[in-house]
Amino acid sequence: MDLSDLNTAEMQKFYSEEQQRAMVNEMVAKLTSECWDKCITGTPGNKFSSSESNCLSNCAHRYLEMSMLIMKRFQSMQ
Amino acid sequence: MDSFSNPSAGSSQQLSAQDIRKQLKNQLALEYAQQFLETVGKKCFEKCVTKPGSSLGGSESSCISRCVDRYIEATGIISKALFTSQ
Repeated sequence: MDLSDLNTAEMQKFYSEEQQRAMVNEMVAKLTSECWDKCITGTPGNKFSSSESNCLSNCAHRYLEMSMLIMKRFQSMQ
Repeated sequence: MDSFSNPSAGSSQQLSAQDIRKQLKNQLALEYAQQFLETVGKKCFEKCVTKPGSSLGGSESSCISRCVDRYIEATGIISKALFTSQ
């Protein structure tokens, strides 16, 4: 195996795919952790109540919305 | 990927590029799993073991197994929410 084999177009594609996967993974993990703390206040039951699962899904959507807002806010400062 | 199915090409070298990808994938999967385990442990310890006694009681153990199930479910809900716009 030659080191240059790690730098082929195919490997580059592999790297960027895995990088993307890692970013998505990290995002999901971070949001799950944040939203779990906000939405699951009692001891975990056998299934989520509808308000718990709605809260989780709202939480993810609102986080994205907030990120957009913050980005816009910073853009308007420039 | 087509070059891998071509047996006439120098297969040993091409196989090892594939091997490296496989190994990287395995290592990443292991890393993701370890991170997940660490987080779930932290969250469920917080929720279920509020006053540590001399052993994990039955109610604590059942809380932990419910908590793990719910955390996995929550991860699913979050990733679904992320990929559907609202």
